[in-house]
Amino acid sequence: MNLFRSEEHIIQWLGTRSAGTTISVTKLSELAHAWWGNRIDPSWQPRTREENQLILDDLGLTDSFWSFSAVLPEH
Amino acid sequence: MDEGDIALRNLTYGLFVELGRAPTVDDASARIGSTPDDVWAGWQRLHDAHALVLQTGTREIRMANPFSAVPTAYRVFADNRWWFANCAWDAFGVGAALHRDSRIEASCADCGEPISVQVRDEKPDDDGLLFHCLVPAIRWWDDIAFT
Repeated sequence: MNLFRSEEHIIQWLGTRSAGTTISVTKLSELAHAWWGNRIDPSWQPRTREENQLILDDLGLTDSFWSFSAVLPEH
Repeated sequence: MDEGDIALRNLTYGLFVELGRAPTVDDASARIGSTPDDVWAGWQRLHDAHALVLQTGTREIRMANPFSAVPTAYRVFADNRWWFANCAWDAFGVGAALHRDSRIEASCADCGEPISVQVRDEKPDDDGLLFHCLVPAIRWWDDIAFT
């Protein structure tokens, strides 16, 4: 989970590895605030897998990469 | 996670923010009024439940996401203090968790050029930067340190 200056830098960094997924830091910030916003609340309660998935869905992160129940191809 | 473990988890996170570092078992046991061994047993259960991450071979916390207990390449200035985050996602999460604007100091994972991002009102000041996640969500906890 890294930061890059541009798409070209991601391609160079990946080399022969398969790409994961790329989003802008604006979307990342939205994600981080939705995901971690209540993390230090004194009344924090654990989220279910479904609740976690809903956070991703609400941000439009709906492809199989972001799925907690996806069936992925074997390497 | 039962209610007792959730209370221990919330106390541990509260101490992390209060102290500006990961609490030790002694810190937590003194605050909660239990024994260090009880705290350690609770932390192990929380580790198994992915509520925090322990450092292998020690009685110490490695991650209380988004905070890192060990130095990393992701430094965040928020709430008048520097923090370490575990990754880029967590770096944005530190300000989010603290409900504060933040400044993230990191570097491009490819070329190493320094990257500085100011996050104000939840918005970063440079939208040209990109975040890449190599590991799909379903495998994040296979090896959280690698993820």
